[in-house]
Amino acid sequence: MPEPVVVDRVTKRFSGHTAVDGLSLTVPSGLIYGLLGPNGAGKTTTLRMIMDIYEPDGGSIRLFDQVGGGRIHSARIGYLPEERGLYPRMRVLDVLVFLAEAKGVSRRAARVKALEWLERLGLADWRLRKVSDLSKGMQQKVQFISTVLHDPDLVILDEPFSGLDPVNSQVLRDTVVDYRRRGKTVLFSTHIMEHAEKLCDRLCIIARGKKLIDGTLAEVKHTHGGKHVIVAFDGSQGNARQIFADRQLVAKLQDFGQQAELELAPGADAQAILKALVNSGARLARFELASPSLHKIFVDLVGPEAATAAASGAGGANGGANA
Amino acid sequence: MHKVWAVVRREFVERVRTRWFWVSAILGPVLFAGIIVFQIVQSMGGAVRNVAVVDSTTDKLGPQVVDALDASGSFRATLAPAGPGVIDSLSNLVESKQLNGFLIITDDLVQTGRAEYQASNLGMQTIESLQRTLGKLVVKARLEQRGVNPGVVDWAQIRIALDQKKISHGKAVSDSATQSFFMAYFMAILLFMAILLYGVNVMSSVLEEKTTRIIEVLVSSIRPFQLMLGKILGAGSVSFFQFVIWGVSARVLLSLRGPIARALGADPASVQTMVLPHIPAATLAVFIAFFLGGFLLYSAMFAAVGAMSSNEQEARQAQQPVTYLLMVSYLSILGLTNDPSSTFARTLSLVPFTTPIATPVRWTAGSMPTWELVLSLVILAIGIVAVTWIAARIYRVGILMTGKRPTMKELVRWVRTA
Repeated sequence: MPEPVVVDRVTKRFSGHTAVDGLSLTVPSGLIYGLLGPNGAGKTTTLRMIMDIYEPDGGSIRLFDQVGGGRIHSARIGYLPEERGLYPRMRVLDVLVFLAEAKGVSRRAARVKALEWLERLGLADWRLRKVSDLSKGMQQKVQFISTVLHDPDLVILDEPFSGLDPVNSQVLRDTVVDYRRRGKTVLFSTHIMEHAEKLCDRLCIIARGKKLIDGTLAEVKHTHGGKHVIVAFDGSQGNARQIFADRQLVAKLQDFGQQAELELAPGADAQAILKALVNSGARLARFELASPSLHKIFVDLVGPEAATAAASGAGGANGGANA
Repeated sequence: MHKVWAVVRREFVERVRTRWFWVSAILGPVLFAGIIVFQIVQSMGGAVRNVAVVDSTTDKLGPQVVDALDASGSFRATLAPAGPGVIDSLSNLVESKQLNGFLIITDDLVQTGRAEYQASNLGMQTIESLQRTLGKLVVKARLEQRGVNPGVVDWAQIRIALDQKKISHGKAVSDSATQSFFMAYFMAILLFMAILLYGVNVMSSVLEEKTTRIIEVLVSSIRPFQLMLGKILGAGSVSFFQFVIWGVSARVLLSLRGPIARALGADPASVQTMVLPHIPAATLAVFIAFFLGGFLLYSAMFAAVGAMSSNEQEARQAQQPVTYLLMVSYLSILGLTNDPSSTFARTLSLVPFTTPIATPVRWTAGSMPTWELVLSLVILAIGIVAVTWIAARIYRVGILMTGKRPTMKELVRWVRTA
């Protein structure tokens, strides 16, 4: 099966500022692919270009081995935009059928599927009610149904977890995992690394419109990992502080008192630190060569300011202002 | 094509489901029924009226007035000799509805042309009929005073029957001037209202998709032009449906005029003489063609306005230039109907923005050469293509924009780069 998504050196500029700058990425079939980056990194713009909402200023996009964006494949793609919305005055069932028809699904098939999904998510009794009568959580479910109703081969989710209540978060996670199990492809963007770490098979981290790293989760961790050591003490710490302060051995230190997370200096050997600690009389509860959390890698790559902005969800430089 | 059709159907179904659609669908026939009832009541007002003639002339003109009034067919007159208290007793009779009114004539009638009429109801038709009848008598009496032979006077007084015919496309057609005037006027108003109302519908529909952000999902599966086209066609078919409802109900109500008249206690036969506005097939075709053309032209502009605004308030402001364009035609309707072949009228029917209203008015109100009609249509078609092309570009960029309204310069850039 050809790659569902191939983005090749794509650039997008908005009146004076470059939102996406020569970005390339390939989403293989049957995986969950995470597009990670702080706010304003160009995630939404990239997804919008893939979905044919924006036209790239440079580069090309291939979907299912065909040049062009998502519009011609709309029946095979489910897209959940970052800013969600439904027709508030339409009936729930009508909205679902219309949105499916807009993707090229036949009216009859759309109706059957919509009723099935409403039943599955416990909204069957609401099918003839207006969307505006539904609670926010229920509207999220309807929006979600509209994304997957036509059983797409590729699902593109832009910040899918933002604003979701815990129940809907779980529904979404289950469905994403279920999709991969059935050999479908999921591409989603997020700035919350915990989500990415739990779900992604492959990922790509971007900032300021450029790719910083991509690969499988293991590859990314390997490239940036293996140099981390977690030390936990059991009573005496010996002259651990002195050893940690040695720049020949330790490049960075996060000291938590009874526990510390070290990043080894280039060329340093973890075993040398262990030996030095034991010799100094420190009692160790734990000495672990750890792979760093995705969050740690992310912070290292994009810089603390951007990462802080991302983690707190502040910023919002993306979206309308540059559209 | 399937996708455009889905958009058209959604627009249509959602509009037709609104309360407002049915309110105006019902309001039309109600208004029309009102007009019919009004006409019937008016024709009843023209029925025979009981009047008394209080005669205090020295020449005893009273019997002549009574005869003349009876002869007019509109009155049943009785003579009441003048005397003390007669006015009061007649007033009582009017009060108790035994009498419609009474006429007081004195020597002033012949000398200065003055008389007095008192009645419970002063209808235009009654007054005119009284004036006409008295006028003839007074002319006769005054001429006789100067020694003119009464026979000559009678012979001299004849009524002119003006046979009114309209020259339409080289053929004389029986038609009354007022009728074609009103028809043209009515059509122009109808066109103006329909284009404005349903054009604004397109705008608010575009705006809704923008403010609810549903546009993003739509644009990822439907081309913006298809979406715009679907919206315009959808809103257009709603207005067409509305017209069909009005037309059919008008037709039904017209055929029910007899029973309605009977129910109101009027003579059904009198209703049949009511002049029906006869709409020739050609006029109807012109009307429909220019309505559709005008609607396409203006709703494309309204769609662009909706796309460039981000809330209702902005849209209201941004729609003003478009509404003004439409107002130009609206404000010139009177001028158009009064002189359909003036240079002013010709000019308006050759400008794409005014031709949708100006041309049907000229066609209905008076003669318009076929070649001019064809030219107007061609100009309108070119206008539609050009305006839609520009509007589609503004629409394409605008629907994904949020934030402040674009300036004129930015709009030009959108059109150039989209």
